[in-house]
Amino acid sequence: MPFIADRLNRISASQTMVITGKARALKAAGKNVISLSVGEPDFDTPRNVKDAAIRAMEAGDTRYTDVSGTPALRKAVAERFHLDSGLDYKPEEIIVSSGGKQVIFNAMLCTMNPGDEAIIPSPCWVSYPDIVSLAEGVPVIVPCSENNGFKLRPEDLEAAITPKTKWFMLNNPCNPTGAAYSAAELKALTDVLMKHPHVWVFTDDIYGKLTYGGFKAATILEVEPRLKDRTLTLNGVSKAYAMTGWRIGFAGAPVELIKAMDKLQGQSTSNATSIAQAAAVEALTGQQDTVAEMAKAFEARRDMVVDMLNAAPGIHCLKPDGAFYVFPSLRGCFGKTSAGGAKIVDDEAFVVALLEETGVAAVHGSAFCFPGYMRISYATDTETLRDACTRIQHFCKGLL
Amino acid sequence: MPELAERLGRAPVAASVQMTIKARELRAAGKNVIALTIGEPNFSTPVHAIEAAHQAALKGDTKYPPQDGTLALKQAIQRKFKRDSGLDYALDEICASNGGKQCIFNALMATVNPGDEAVIPVPAWSAYWLMNDLIGGKSVLVTCPQNNGFKPRAEDIEAAITPRTKWLILNNPNNPTGAACSAEELAKIAEVVRKHPNIWIMSDDMYEHLVFDDFKHATLAQVAPDLKDRTLTISGVSKTYAMTGWRIGFAGGPKQLIRAMVNMQGQVAAGISTVGQAAAAAALDGPQEGVEEMRAAYKRRRDFVVESLNACPGIACHKPEGAFYVYPNVAGCLGKTTAGGKKLENDFDFCMALLEENLVATVHGAAYGMSPYLRVSTATDDESLHEACRRIMAFCKGLH
Repeated sequence: MPFIADRLNRISASQTMVITGKARALKAAGKNVISLSVGEPDFDTPRNVKDAAIRAMEAGDTRYTDVSGTPALRKAVAERFHLDSGLDYKPEEIIVSSGGKQVIFNAMLCTMNPGDEAIIPSPCWVSYPDIVSLAEGVPVIVPCSENNGFKLRPEDLEAAITPKTKWFMLNNPCNPTGAAYSAAELKALTDVLMKHPHVWVFTDDIYGKLTYGGFKAATILEVEPRLKDRTLTLNGVSKAYAMTGWRIGFAGAPVELIKAMDKLQGQSTSNATSIAQAAAVEALTGQQDTVAEMAKAFEARRDMVVDMLNAAPGIHCLKPDGAFYVFPSLRGCFGKTSAGGAKIVDDEAFVVALLEETGVAAVHGSAFCFPGYMRISYATDTETLRDACTRIQHFCKGLL
Repeated sequence: MPELAERLGRAPVAASVQMTIKARELRAAGKNVIALTIGEPNFSTPVHAIEAAHQAALKGDTKYPPQDGTLALKQAIQRKFKRDSGLDYALDEICASNGGKQCIFNALMATVNPGDEAVIPVPAWSAYWLMNDLIGGKSVLVTCPQNNGFKPRAEDIEAAITPRTKWLILNNPNNPTGAACSAEELAKIAEVVRKHPNIWIMSDDMYEHLVFDDFKHATLAQVAPDLKDRTLTISGVSKTYAMTGWRIGFAGGPKQLIRAMVNMQGQVAAGISTVGQAAAAAALDGPQEGVEEMRAAYKRRRDFVVESLNACPGIACHKPEGAFYVYPNVAGCLGKTTAGGKKLENDFDFCMALLEENLVATVHGAAYGMSPYLRVSTATDDESLHEACRRIMAFCKGLH
């Protein structure tokens, strides 16, 4: 058989596959498995959004659209950026893609020359370094300690910047930690970035509407408008409107970058699904009550999960301000042996034993470039979460 | 602004898009332009496909789908390959993407190392070589002369193969010429490829159902089953079911290649829109009478347009087997001057003058790798086509 390309080898093997594969096998064997490993809301897409999609398909909106998205959706995105963050983007400064991930892919392929560097604070979504590598760039991972709430310190950012730095990539609020930056914290980072005009700034705000306890997530350009000519602001409807399956993400950026991304998207996939684009228009411009309701439910679950995890011996869990994840430290459990006889040497051993012995599936921190922790998604109903946390407590109490 | 990547310079905007934009500008200025530039059916998506999408949205099929396509869609694709071409693909030999274009992009990204060559018979859809060039591959264009019905000759393909050849890309029926190879013609090509075990073969059969006059569509893996383990068969619902906007294409191929493509898709855009997948599955499995009606309409239009164009002084138009394009030769018009005083040096001049003076938009052959020709799309209602042909006649009669 003819060969596969070298670039495929630059993508890391999926760390989560071990867990999801094992969870699937246990489920198939009739075990009662609770999956806390999913990255999508358990809520359904709001009815008004579905109705808009149905109207669009019946009206015959079934043709190719502009590669960068329909004028209606780009206008709705621009308005939403303005309403939520006071950002002023013109429609030609907006691109719509098949999910936020494609925006990242487009941006990296459009800008990275071989050897260019992207600074990625960790813990991070592993797709960032993977896509950077695929684009022949070099991911520069900067760890952000739990002591600082898993947030990047300006001095660490400064130290990571080199003449080869092409991008600084921020996920705010963050997957997998839920950490969210206040305006003041962002300002400290943008002050550093202002000194380095050769660096593009990427801010992935996909969880921006999911913040709790009155915390207001800020975005880079709100605190430093002078970075606008080199910042890409990513957002989408997946998380805020429970629309993961519709595959619509979007970004605002300088027109030169949008044009380049449009060109690349024109060569790789063309437009995102026309029907889903119509649905996204309604999500962004229609009623916003479901967003607040969802956030309220997530907040209650976060509080319960954090409390219950902190009651488990050996686990230490920060209470983050956003997203639907918590990222507890497992270090207090290392070196011990589980009731089932598994030696807990690291985070992977912990999640594997937890799954095998209690049926709870979480993802180990190493899968997010940050060993010693695990990611728990609380995008699951309260009763199931309570059951899962009880099992985790039981598992930790059984460690010797 | 920080710089863009060098690879972008390798991908210009498609000529058909440029012509569409020019036509749109003239329209905006109040001119009555007829666009024959479009590669999409002017029919509507079948009602049962819309109904299936409708039901999928309502029942909450709105979550992340598997990256290779939903089980239901993959099963429908499996049945389609069997029904239409007698091809047996296992489910792990099938994947669905955001349009046929993404199948091609994924396949090339997953296989092409810098400097690897793709043999592409031309005239061809420019996306093949634009994508290949973007990725760092080298495109080797093989001319398919009009006197061979614009079909690739086995000996010309053989002469183009080198030790660096990674792909042979066949598009059957072809965009922009409508030419389709019979089973016998494909068998001759297979004979050549058989001698070179390190070459992948792509058969892009997107227009497979649009063939006329008892012509039987054939595809390479069916004609040469021994080459199936290195052949990628691509099709989709866009052209057959008038579903361009839904963005669903698919491919069958050897498991290792499909796995690599899915791996790539996981980085580019992840899974594809769930409602689109539900619609596509229904289109593939549902009643096929609509396809017959479309085919009859396209045949009628082809016959009319070929006859009308051949009546125009200076134009010679071959009658193709399929698709919804014809590819008339305009050599007899070159060197002449239009009624508006424009000297026609090449097919681009012809296209621009035809658009500016007689308000008919077409695409020049140079954009597809072979001059001096035009691509004329018949995916427009009969009345507009009649009027367009009258205008082309007037334009040609005015040449002196």
